[in-house]
This record gives sequence, structure tokens and C-alpha cells, in this order.
Amino acid sequence: MEGDLLTVAIVVGVALTFDFTNGFHDTANVVATSVSTRAMAPRLAVGYAAILNFVGAFISLQVAATVAEDVVNPSSISLLAVFGGLVAAIAWNLITWYFGLPSSSSHALIGGIVGAVFVAQGPDAIFFKDGVLGEVMIPALVAPTLAFVVAGLAILLIYRIAGRLRPGSVSAGFRGGQVISGGLLALAHGTNDAQKTMGVIALALVAHGNLPASDPTPPTWVVVSAATAIALGTYAGGWRIIKTMGSRIHKMDSAQGFAAQGAGAAVILASSSAGFPLSTTHTISGAVIGSGAAKRLSAVRWGVAGNIVAAWVLTLPAAAAMGALTYAVTRAFGTGAVGPVIVSVLILAGGALLFARRAQQARTPTAKAAEA
Amino acid sequence: MIGAIIDGDPLLQVIWVSLASGLGVTAAYAVAILGASRAVELQRDGRAVEAAVFAIVGIVALGAVLAAIVLGIVALADK
Repeated sequence: MEGDLLTVAIVVGVALTFDFTNGFHDTANVVATSVSTRAMAPRLAVGYAAILNFVGAFISLQVAATVAEDVVNPSSISLLAVFGGLVAAIAWNLITWYFGLPSSSSHALIGGIVGAVFVAQGPDAIFFKDGVLGEVMIPALVAPTLAFVVAGLAILLIYRIAGRLRPGSVSAGFRGGQVISGGLLALAHGTNDAQKTMGVIALALVAHGNLPASDPTPPTWVVVSAATAIALGTYAGGWRIIKTMGSRIHKMDSAQGFAAQGAGAAVILASSSAGFPLSTTHTISGAVIGSGAAKRLSAVRWGVAGNIVAAWVLTLPAAAAMGALTYAVTRAFGTGAVGPVIVSVLILAGGALLFARRAQQARTPTAKAAEA
Repeated sequence: MIGAIIDGDPLLQVIWVSLASGLGVTAAYAVAILGASRAVELQRDGRAVEAAVFAIVGIVALGAVLAAIVLGIVALADK
């Protein structure tokens, strides 16, 4: 057993903060297409997504089990390594949010944990082949490709079945459908993303000796607090990323929005059922691009799509490097609570700085317009 | 090589379930819209019997969509 109660409390607090930023960051995945096609008003869509994210977190614990047992060896994990991974994931989420890039919170979390554990316990503590590669990286490649294909085929089917009907009634019908498919996507998001935080908190509880390494099932208070944090984060919203996802990849009609959300929800729910902690961001981005490309390849702004791919490719190694660095800095202050306290203050200050800069940049055009 | 790294069964299951549910639900919803839209048009033209047939097709398709969603969530919760 390592660390004291204060360290565990800090790690759990940081995990829930990550969960909040995950909901904040990934709101775009869930509501962007509904907002873009005007199927739902932005605030209503975000509130709806928050409630269903909360509900989704209670449906299954398969993904939490994968994160807690299959990526790193729970019996050799330390609290500081979990802390290092979490801080790296939060920092990466904040950086990509600042630049408006929909990168993966999930891969940031797993990359951060792997990097920190690699430095803390060495390569033997990481299940590279079966865990990182088999349950994270390969599904990470398959899921967006699958969502791309399903959304592309779905929109072709829709145009085939309903393409000759009056546009007005069809648009209204698919906007109604987006309320269902958007809700399903929010539910799917809760089943996959909230569980990753539950898995990480379970790892921290194993490290502290509160849970057995042989069965690190998250207790009820962990499930409830993770569900609440992701729902609150979702409600807070991430409007910059919503703009990128909803309109800058391609302008979509309500049928495309419905196809993208339906395909994304199908892939995420099927993956949650199998316990794959995949990226909801990757999956819905693949579906959005697929629904545009199937209609007309030139409708997709491939430059924006390319920037998103670049962020995906960078996420795992960058988060791993940041996780390793954070662990090393935290460990330099010993194994107690001093390191986590100092690093938490630093990350809070960094986050506040980024928020202030972003707020300042957002105000500048308005001020210029007022002066003109 | 990939087969040696991962247990292919869950991944294959994810692929076929995603394809079947994603395409099935989308197609069924499009049929529901087709049924509703055609039913309104035919009703307006005074062709009540044909309108009723399209309305039933639309309702059945919408029922299939809702049933598939409920079934999917129940299956996930039961695992």
C-alpha cells in the first residue's frame, strides 16, 4: 500500500476533473450534428446530452473492467502513476480544446497512464500486446473506419428510400429522428467514456489497498460520482469544438446528421458491450466524414479532417510523454501528497491561463466590431 | 498477425452488430418517413385505403426502430 488518504483524495478529485473535461470536450461529438442541422437548440441539446450521459454511465461496467485490469497490471500500479496519467490527460484535453481540435480524451487518458506507469514501474507493468494494442489501438483504428462505412452506407440507403419525397417533410422527419439518434449517441458516450474514469479510480483504489487487484470492480460511489462529473462537463459544453464538428468538416442536412449519429451510436454501443475503451471522438468524426463523403467527396473539407487526424495520431505518444514527465516531476517530491498538491496547483493555474487567453481572444473581435 | 494479437471474436462481433444495427435502424426509420409522408399525400388525394396501408407501414417501421433500440440497451445492460 502506498500513499495516504490525502493522496487518494487528490487522485480521485483529479480523476473526476478529467471526467468533467471529458464531458466538456466530448459534448461536440454528441450534439454537434443536432445543433448544425437545427434539429435541437444548442442549450436544449447540451442539457439532453448531459442527462443521457448520466444514465448511460450506469448501463454497463465492461469498459471500466478493461481499463482497470487489461491495460496495466493493477497489482503493480502506484497512486502517483495514476495521478501522472490523469494530469497528462487533462493537460492534453485543455491544449486540444484551446486549439479547437477534437482529439481523443480516451486515448489521452490511456496514453497518460501508460507513460506514467512505464516510468514508475517499467515496461513489464504494461500489457502492451493484449491490452494496449489488442484492446485499445486496433479498436481505435477499426471504430472510426467502421463508423465511416456504416454512416456512408446508411446515407445512401436513406437517399434510396426517401430521396424522392418532398424535401420539407423529409427534413422534418429526420430532424425528429436526430432527437432519437442524438439521445442514443449521448447514452453510448456515457456507457464508454464515464467508465474509463471509473476504471482509473478503481486502479487508484487498488493502489491504496481499498480494492483487491484480482477484482477491481468500481464501487457504487465511484459509478455515481463519475456519471455526475461527465454529465456536468457535458452540460458546461465545448462550443469551439462543436463548431468544428458540426459545420467545418462539411455542411450536412438532417438525413446526414441522423445517419452520422445513428452509425456512431451503433459502433460505440457495440464496442462498449465488448469492453473496448474506444474514442467516441474518433468514432463520430468518422461517421460525420462518412455521411458527407458518400454524398459527394468534395463536400468534405479534407484539410479540416486532416487536422483532426493529425491530432489523433499525436494523442497517444504526446499524452504518454506528458504522463511520464508528470510522474517524474511528482515523484521528485517524494511518495506523499506534496508532489500531487504542487502539480495540481500548477495544472489549475495552466488551465486558468488558457481559459483567460481564450476568453480574451473571444472578446477581441466583438470589441473591434463595437469600435467600428 | 492481427489475429495473433487480439481475440478476433469480440472485434468481429462489434463489426457485424454495428453494420446490422446501424443500417437496419437507419433503413427502418427512412421507411417510417416514407410511410408517413406517402400516407399524408394519398390521404390528401382522397385515396384512403392506400393511405392507410402506408400509414401502417410507417408505424410498423417506427415500432421496429424503437424495439431495436430497447433491445440493444437491454442486451448491453445484461452483460
